[in-house]
Amino acid sequence: MTDPSAKTSPGDGGAGSPPPCGEGSGLGVAKNSVRESHPTPNPSPSRGGGAARMRGGESWRLRQGGLVDRTSAHTFSFDGRGYRGHAGDTLASALLANGVHLVGRSFKYHRPRGILTAGPEEPNALVELRSGARREPNTRATTAELYDGLEARSQNRWPSLKFDLLAVNSLASPILSAGFYYKTFMWPAALWERLYEPLIRRAAGLGRASGADDPDTYEKAFLHCDVLVVGGGAAGLMAALAAGRTGARVVLCEEDFRLGGRLIAESRVLDDQRSSDWVARIGAELAALPNVRILARTSVFGAYDHGTYAALERVNDHVATPPEHEPRQRFWHIYAKRCVLAAGAIERPLVFGDNDRPGIMLAGAVRTYINRYAVAPGRRAVVFGTTDETAQTLSDLARAGVSVEAVVDPRAEAPAGVEAAAKAAGARLVAGGAVMRATGSLHVHGVDVRTAAGETVHIACDLVCVAGGWSPSVHLASHKGARPVWSERIAGFVPDTPPAGMGVAGAANGDLGLADALAGGARLGLAAAGDAGFDGQPVELPKVDGESTGLTPLWRVKGTRGKAFVDLQNDVTDKDVALAEREGFRAVEHLKRYTTLGMATDQGKTSNVAALVLMAELTARSIPQTGSTTFRPPYAPIAIGALAGEHRARHFRPTRLPPSHRWAQEQGAVFVEAGQWLRAQWYPQAGEADWLTSVNREVRTVRERVGVCDVSTLGKIDLQGPDSAEFLERLYINGWKNLAVGKARYGLMLREDGMVMDDGTTSRLAEQRYLVTTTTANAAKVLQHMELCHQWLWPDLDVQFCSVTEQWAQFSIAGPRARDTLRKVIDGQHDISDAALPYLGAAELTAMGGVAARLFRISFSGELAYEIAVPAGHGDGLIRRLMEAGRAFGIAPYGTEALGVMRIEKGHVAGNELNGQTTARNLGLGRMMSRRKDYIGRVMADRPGLTAADRPSLAGFKPVDRDQRLRAGAHFVREGARPVLASDEGYMTSVAFSPALGHWIGLGLIAGGAARHGERVRAYDPVRHGDVLVEVCDPVFYDPAGERLRG
Amino acid sequence: MAEGVHPIVSALDGVAAPGRHGRRTADPGVTVSEVRGGGLALVTARRGARAALAETVRVAFGVALPEARRTTEGAELAFVWCGPEQWLAYCRSAPREGMERLLAPLIAHAAIVDQSHGRTILRVAGPKVREALAKGVAVDLHPRAFKTGDTAATLVAHIAVQIWQVDDAPTYEFAVARGFAQSFWDWLESSSAEFGLELVGNTRTA
Repeated sequence: MTDPSAKTSPGDGGAGSPPPCGEGSGLGVAKNSVRESHPTPNPSPSRGGGAARMRGGESWRLRQGGLVDRTSAHTFSFDGRGYRGHAGDTLASALLANGVHLVGRSFKYHRPRGILTAGPEEPNALVELRSGARREPNTRATTAELYDGLEARSQNRWPSLKFDLLAVNSLASPILSAGFYYKTFMWPAALWERLYEPLIRRAAGLGRASGADDPDTYEKAFLHCDVLVVGGGAAGLMAALAAGRTGARVVLCEEDFRLGGRLIAESRVLDDQRSSDWVARIGAELAALPNVRILARTSVFGAYDHGTYAALERVNDHVATPPEHEPRQRFWHIYAKRCVLAAGAIERPLVFGDNDRPGIMLAGAVRTYINRYAVAPGRRAVVFGTTDETAQTLSDLARAGVSVEAVVDPRAEAPAGVEAAAKAAGARLVAGGAVMRATGSLHVHGVDVRTAAGETVHIACDLVCVAGGWSPSVHLASHKGARPVWSERIAGFVPDTPPAGMGVAGAANGDLGLADALAGGARLGLAAAGDAGFDGQPVELPKVDGESTGLTPLWRVKGTRGKAFVDLQNDVTDKDVALAEREGFRAVEHLKRYTTLGMATDQGKTSNVAALVLMAELTARSIPQTGSTTFRPPYAPIAIGALAGEHRARHFRPTRLPPSHRWAQEQGAVFVEAGQWLRAQWYPQAGEADWLTSVNREVRTVRERVGVCDVSTLGKIDLQGPDSAEFLERLYINGWKNLAVGKARYGLMLREDGMVMDDGTTSRLAEQRYLVTTTTANAAKVLQHMELCHQWLWPDLDVQFCSVTEQWAQFSIAGPRARDTLRKVIDGQHDISDAALPYLGAAELTAMGGVAARLFRISFSGELAYEIAVPAGHGDGLIRRLMEAGRAFGIAPYGTEALGVMRIEKGHVAGNELNGQTTARNLGLGRMMSRRKDYIGRVMADRPGLTAADRPSLAGFKPVDRDQRLRAGAHFVREGARPVLASDEGYMTSVAFSPALGHWIGLGLIAGGAARHGERVRAYDPVRHGDVLVEVCDPVFYDPAGERLRG
Repeated sequence: MAEGVHPIVSALDGVAAPGRHGRRTADPGVTVSEVRGGGLALVTARRGARAALAETVRVAFGVALPEARRTTEGAELAFVWCGPEQWLAYCRSAPREGMERLLAPLIAHAAIVDQSHGRTILRVAGPKVREALAKGVAVDLHPRAFKTGDTAATLVAHIAVQIWQVDDAPTYEFAVARGFAQSFWDWLESSSAEFGLELVGNTRTA
């Protein structure tokens, strides 16, 4: 081996030439790998050649094998350069097939980083996928499925991936240690937002969000099953098969796009079949079972109470843009009677000097790239492993034609299997040794190995396979709070007692051997189905070749030079862990927060265990004493858009539309959200310059002629039963027993604590039937309150009630010509004269030629006014008829603004005054409080604090200078007093411009209330620079005698 | 209830156009129709009157009052359980005299409240109906769990609905508060889009 390119210097970005063409080896490398045209994985643009800047063939693709579809050709780009891959590749495998190892820069030190893993635990290979509004930062190249036209960019580098100016951070590393930001940017605090944070955000951080609206759609869906199997590897497949054959409803979720887990990543033999073929056979049987649903590309990311699981299906992440009508991702709520967790395990890297160089990969990932993707991740490998699986790694490397330069096993005596495999691979075995440091910058080009004898030798290589043992994926077993326990046998945490309804099988349970995984899965799958009520026969287990899973953990190579990273994603080194210990952050949760270890997209999947073992060593505690950090959902990064599903923008929450909505739209109304309702706020007419002009016109129309307003949104509750009157007596502060049939009355109800809850009119429709109305805002709350009172306080009362808000369209007809207008709509046989239907009268009659209707003579505006109700389906017809009937009288529709102006002019309280802090007395309604009965809130309303004379109470306010505008929210202070909290006397709750008075008016709550009429106070509004001298007055500004409404 | 000169306007008029929505599949995966002109009333048993109510319902309408989570269907009226001591009396064509008058024989034992206009009733079927509904209905609609004659009160896309299964096709009917009908339709349309939705019947366009 005298390949000159093997002597590439640090910084050349080169992995060297493609591997030899594999003559004589089992798989070999594609013959089309022409060295001259692909000298480095990242050649300079001038060497890219070709108009499309397309790289040639995949020089590092093995000639045969793998599960990629060689008949397909996907072109893709990385940092603007074109490459080629196949269906079945991930972005990572396709990059490796093209010899690209350098894919990103690290978070803090901007060190060059490559691909460490072949799965979702990847800490390094994060890229920006897609472009424009679809740009997706921090996408793991190891899980991004390759599609034709894929665009990816490296992140966290400037100006380029190979030359990153911020790599100087690495030189400054002595001061950039853990806690740096906290220590350095503390002072002065004023600079934080303007200077420090923007600076840090530019320097650190990972990818960039697109900043544009996501053009794709997401959806949520519910899924129910008897048995949920999480993970489609050996254990999961057997669990699904065992449960599926019983007839139970089984859902099998596999986060990869292909079933099999390690079975397709290794070359194993089951029942004399290649493991990938065996997977295909079992997968086909499962797919054929009608009671089994396989969800590929689906990560179960959270386990919750009562067998509820959250999962994300990446429906169309593997295509450039989702097909029309299909979501990008789907968020599943899964309800499972039982669950088998077969999530596998995650391999750990080893901690030694400069262990982050591109080309240093997990041994398991190397086997995955060779077996599954038919990619040789290097040409000359050093294997540094603490597990017996090194034998498997060596045999796979050999079959791929990768020369193994050395096998470093820290165990003084390497197991026989490793020794034999090393011999077979022709590799030097360094037993009892360790890799001290990797050399190379943009790509590893060698390792310094310390032998058992204490010598240090340099071994050239372009691939370092590291294996530090496996950490079971216990996350879902721990989401509900159960802490995993330490297992010396596998040197990892395993689930203790899984949550009720869950069984853990295979590697997730610490059963790392294939035979154990298959058996455990089959057993737990059958048991889960049995628990859900489905019995069946045990599944026959496939015969497998044996393997050894022994290991002796090596948590850190001591005495190294260079940075020894524990957490690659967060740039946390062994020194940072030691610093945290010295500074007192010794609890694992403190360690995490102080160093950021285990945060960000990978949540420390490859690093947490090593970190806490180091901390255990430093603090001379055992690993169980040191404990593990908390496992919280989500297991993997989840786009917020997926959680929102279709509930975004206009669909964030449902919209409730009143019966006249369509008609109001035709009139060009401006709408306002009132809770979920959309109500007409005002109806602009041609030539009206602003909202105030329109509102003033609407108010004047009502006061002078007649107006109509949709008030269907007010809560309407039908109350029936022999005890209805008694029920009302207890709910409201005022009396009801003397309310006659055909009459309406204003009522006020309190909360238990004596504060006002709601108000509204109640009409007695029949001896045992009332119609209770509520404010729009409190409709649901009042109904709930009534339910509570009936079910819990007074179940003995024989009453029945329900909401009829939606059943009736109701319109307010207000103004001097209200009766004239209604006369044309109400059927002729009904007398609606003042004598027949006086103020506060209520009648059931017909309108528009036989339509059932209700007519209430009630007024919020202070004018002669009615509310007419018809079944909602006639609401659209009624508004059109009313407008037609009122045309001769100059009718106009009015919206909620005009409604508000008129109620303020009349001093009626509404939501702003019914704010949960006011009593009936505070609102000037104390005289309604009956002394002859008990009712909810009576006792508490009499508390001394609430009856004090200086309680803020309702009053009216007008500007002393009538030209000044009032603002709701302004606080009252005495003239001459300093406007500070101590001199606060209350605040303005509602304001309006009164067209009748020609100036602004307000309602407010001021200490002393009515006693202060005539006094002048400041309405002080520092937020909007308002400081207006106002006069305290009676809250009824308009027609205080109430003559107009009786007209 | 007599009709005036103005026709009854559905909450979906001008909102949901009859015809195909979503993917143009050969056959729609989901078919939807609005039950218009139906009659609906809430029947709430008076205190301690449940047995008497059940007997009166049986005598007057020849149908059993259903148990919790069930519906029963007679020649004239169907009953849908909708809460403790509460049922919806339902007929797909409202009686001329109105629901409260029709149900007057029950008045001694129950409060009767017409809700015919308060709810929009949508009938949903088609080969992909379960897949589409799974995008909002948290209730398990698998035939092992929810059968013809079953009913549930639940939330769909934050909207309160009553759902019941009409037949084994399966066909479902949803009762949705009228004010939310448009939002419910928006959800149903988008959830069914990938399967193709056909809105059939006499829903008028704007």
